[in-house]
Amino acid sequence: QGKMEEGKAYSPHGLFAHLEMLEARAHEADVKEEEAKQQEEKLARLKARVQELTLQRDELQAKVDLQQKRQLEKEGVASDPAQPSAQAVLEWKIKRVKAMLQVFCLTGISGKLTKQGVCFCISTAYEGTYLDSYYLDLLTKPEVRILRHSIPIFIPLEQLAKKYLQTDIRRFLSVLSNHLNAYAARKYQADQLQEHFSDQIEGTLQTNSLCNLLVFNYNVPNKSKTFPFNVRLLYGDLCSSIPTKVTVSCTSEAPASLAEMAAAHSDLFCHVALHKAFRSFSDAGES
Amino acid sequence: MDNSICQVYEDKIQSLEEEIKLLAEKYEDSQQESTFFSDEEILMSKKSFEREFWRESQGCESPSDLKAQLESLETDLSFLMKFTGIQFTSHFKKTMEKTRNRTVQKHRLSGNCHSLSFQLEFQLLEMQNKENVSVVVSDLSITMESGEDSGVSKFVSSIEEHGNLLAFFRSLSSYAEWYEHRRCTFLHFK
Repeated sequence: QGKMEEGKAYSPHGLFAHLEMLEARAHEADVKEEEAKQQEEKLARLKARVQELTLQRDELQAKVDLQQKRQLEKEGVASDPAQPSAQAVLEWKIKRVKAMLQVFCLTGISGKLTKQGVCFCISTAYEGTYLDSYYLDLLTKPEVRILRHSIPIFIPLEQLAKKYLQTDIRRFLSVLSNHLNAYAARKYQADQLQEHFSDQIEGTLQTNSLCNLLVFNYNVPNKSKTFPFNVRLLYGDLCSSIPTKVTVSCTSEAPASLAEMAAAHSDLFCHVALHKAFRSFSDAGES
Repeated sequence: MDNSICQVYEDKIQSLEEEIKLLAEKYEDSQQESTFFSDEEILMSKKSFEREFWRESQGCESPSDLKAQLESLETDLSFLMKFTGIQFTSHFKKTMEKTRNRTVQKHRLSGNCHSLSFQLEFQLLEMQNKENVSVVVSDLSITMESGEDSGVSKFVSSIEEHGNLLAFFRSLSSYAEWYEHRRCTFLHFK
């Protein structure tokens, strides 16, 4: 008798298998229902968050609008009816002093005192555009020494330190700043050239890491591209961003007019920044 | 389909959070820039802050010591002014525009370098690009005390034309030293 029942229970199309299938289906339905419920809850949460943030944003906007209105009515010092706490006053002053320290960054030399000495920050700029800054961490006792720095390796830092660091720190920083600013200016000119006049440049701009030797080929706008000019710029003075020696040449087959132009360009590059010279070619071409 | 609705909400949340951050910064900047406390008020606040904290902490370490932070910053500033010879006597800053990637500020600075005094006005544009922040000076206007000297006025015009604020300060120190030396020499021979 038991054997017959066993046979029924474990046969593939038997009741047990059927029950398993029903259970699996119910489980699947449960999972789907749970997923849908979670999705709904997530959506509801997101919606609530959007409402909360919108309210917050609107309140802030109203606060800012009121502040603007008050300031227009009373130009200058905003009178706060409530007496500010000592903490608020100090926080205000801290922000002021930090702003003043940021202005020093714009002057080229900034820094902060450290336990062992002082950490200077040298900024570089080309005309109105500020470029990279470099730091110099100095020890001041027992003698002035460089602890750490971010000066690129091709700047003659050790040479300058040997010459000036012990006797005149100000002079040292000033000369170092000259080197760094000149390097930054040369690099800036080369970068500007590649960024704005790449269509006139043939091939790549060849330069060294100090950016004081630049060699490349270029075409003059509106002239045929069969006679590109080759230019070699040497910046012999490391504290200058104007080259000391310029050679502009074109192939011997080129017409005489182009040879004349090459000479004119060579002269121009000795006096005008590279990217500005190229801008003048474009402008002349257009007129 | 549900996912795209979620995405819409999530994008909206992100944009609202950014707006809130910007508005809060705008409010703070505006408060900061339109308030002024005199040196006496600062001194009084330092004293009363110390008293408040002592009462509260009663011997325990003072937490975020604003007073110490302020004094450290002021020491740095006074060191820089002494070291570079550039003394700023007033600084007025106003945030004209502030968006996620762009801040425009107007600055008015006065100061002196040795005995030479100057006044500057300029606009500072800070832009956030992919890798870093770019800072550009524009609308630079400089007034210098020794304006009669033609060398100085030529120098100043060329600086103004190119917005060359950095070059102005770098030259200022050496020029001021020379000017001071010349002035002393003249006085000596009077």
